[in-house]
Amino acid sequence: MATITGVSLSSPRVLFNASGSLKNAHAIKFALPPRQPMRPGGVQMGRVLRIQPVRAAPDKISEKVVESIKQAQETCADDPTSGECVAAWDEVEELSAAASHAKQKEKDSDPLETYCKDNPETRECKTFDE
Amino acid sequence: MAACTVYSTQSLSTNCSISTPSKTQLSFHQKQVVFYTTSRRNSKRGSNSGRSYVITCAASDQQTVVIGLAADSGCGKSTFMRRLTSVFGGAAEPPKGGNPDSNTLISDTTTVICLDDYHSLDRTGRKEKGVTALDPRANDFDLMYEQVKAIKDGIAVQKPIYNHVTGLLDPPELIKPPKILVIEGLHPMFDSRVRDLLDFSIYLDISNEVKFAWKIQRDMAERGHSLESIKASIEARKPDFEAYIDPQKQYADAVIEVLPTQLIPDDNEGKILRVRLIQKEGVNFFSPVYLFDEGSTISWIPCGRKLTCSYPGIKFSYGPDTYYGNEVSVVEMDGQFDRLDELIYVESHLSNLSTKFYGEVTQQMLKHADFPGSNNGTGLFQTIVGLKIRDLYEQIVATRAETAVAAKA
Repeated sequence: MATITGVSLSSPRVLFNASGSLKNAHAIKFALPPRQPMRPGGVQMGRVLRIQPVRAAPDKISEKVVESIKQAQETCADDPTSGECVAAWDEVEELSAAASHAKQKEKDSDPLETYCKDNPETRECKTFDE
Repeated sequence: MAACTVYSTQSLSTNCSISTPSKTQLSFHQKQVVFYTTSRRNSKRGSNSGRSYVITCAASDQQTVVIGLAADSGCGKSTFMRRLTSVFGGAAEPPKGGNPDSNTLISDTTTVICLDDYHSLDRTGRKEKGVTALDPRANDFDLMYEQVKAIKDGIAVQKPIYNHVTGLLDPPELIKPPKILVIEGLHPMFDSRVRDLLDFSIYLDISNEVKFAWKIQRDMAERGHSLESIKASIEARKPDFEAYIDPQKQYADAVIEVLPTQLIPDDNEGKILRVRLIQKEGVNFFSPVYLFDEGSTISWIPCGRKLTCSYPGIKFSYGPDTYYGNEVSVVEMDGQFDRLDELIYVESHLSNLSTKFYGEVTQQMLKHADFPGSNNGTGLFQTIVGLKIRDLYEQIVATRAETAVAAKA
């Protein structure tokens, strides 16, 4: 794609979910290079445009929750009082809380809205009266 | 010697910005008077240009007020934080352009940091050693102390980020000294050095019954979870919770205790709650909320001729008590609000709320009607604690300003 020359997705944590249509739309929005000069203090660093990374998708965490529960049950089969067993269930709690936070975040924010709050001058964020 | 002194009673809503030597931004409230000198502070802040000077306002010059909030995971800390920062004014949001998995929240006045960021062992490390995140051995209290102290002294720090998704420690993020710093997590009052830095501390004490009900609500829809897994997780963590987290409540200036209702006999659904606000007496800049007559023991059912409530009604009580050897005042609410007029009626009968106008508690509760607990004592007391902290902040700043003026005179 010639249009994104010079655009570097600098964070490894950028996750676009191919199955989610909303996220696809989001990805397309991101792929458009801004025509307007960036605001001072914006996200342009030299000639490289940094695109804000996206938070991990909730469904990714959900998989980890499932996995961690399985692991905890296996670890505890031998010795339910061992430190390993307790730590495994603690991991389940940590991931469950993270999953719940991620869901809350997603509910609270529309990705395009969030992007446009930070980059109101970009083409994709402009609104026009007829 | 301070680089500048701002005196005038400062409210949280003023626009006084922190300036750095490179970018000086100022926006003053009209009544503020600012003195500044080009002083030693420059070198302290790492600026070595002779020309540059720093005008620091409230935030870095008058010291950050530090608040500690302790609770177990999944016990409503985030909801509480949202209520708290809302009372202080402005919405708290994750740092812009930073790590998307940062746990920090920043508003105009307040920065909330999550103490999980001070984990010394990441998820793999804890698993290998067989310790939980609740265990002090999994946390770096030296670094926690150093960094909270630095922020309190007006120095920005590079705080680590614990990534709850990957379970790894990510590269650090810069935390600048805010007006109010909230440290929330499992251990804000565990280490005595950190505890001594706190201007106010809160402990959310969720009873086992309610904790179970809340976690079912949170996790049952989650794939892989079952009643058994939720129970197993709570049970497995219990010994460490009781050893390291629960004892912190003895140090808290305010404890919010969440229990099952007593209005319905043998209710264990966990839907209707009895919530107690335990307020320590004799805490600087904090005067407890009371019902009708300060220091008396009162039981009050607001539902009757003037106010009609639906089943099972609402019951309040208030009175002095002792809690871990400390004198406390306790306000308790059992039941839930079903209508707006109930909330206003209750607010008008509570005293010492530190509101700025009549109905502020009700307004805050309505503003966040979608948050969990907005119709019961959890939302009510969290809002009240937010107002008390705002008041505490304003008193601390006013006292410092007086001292500064006296010192100059």
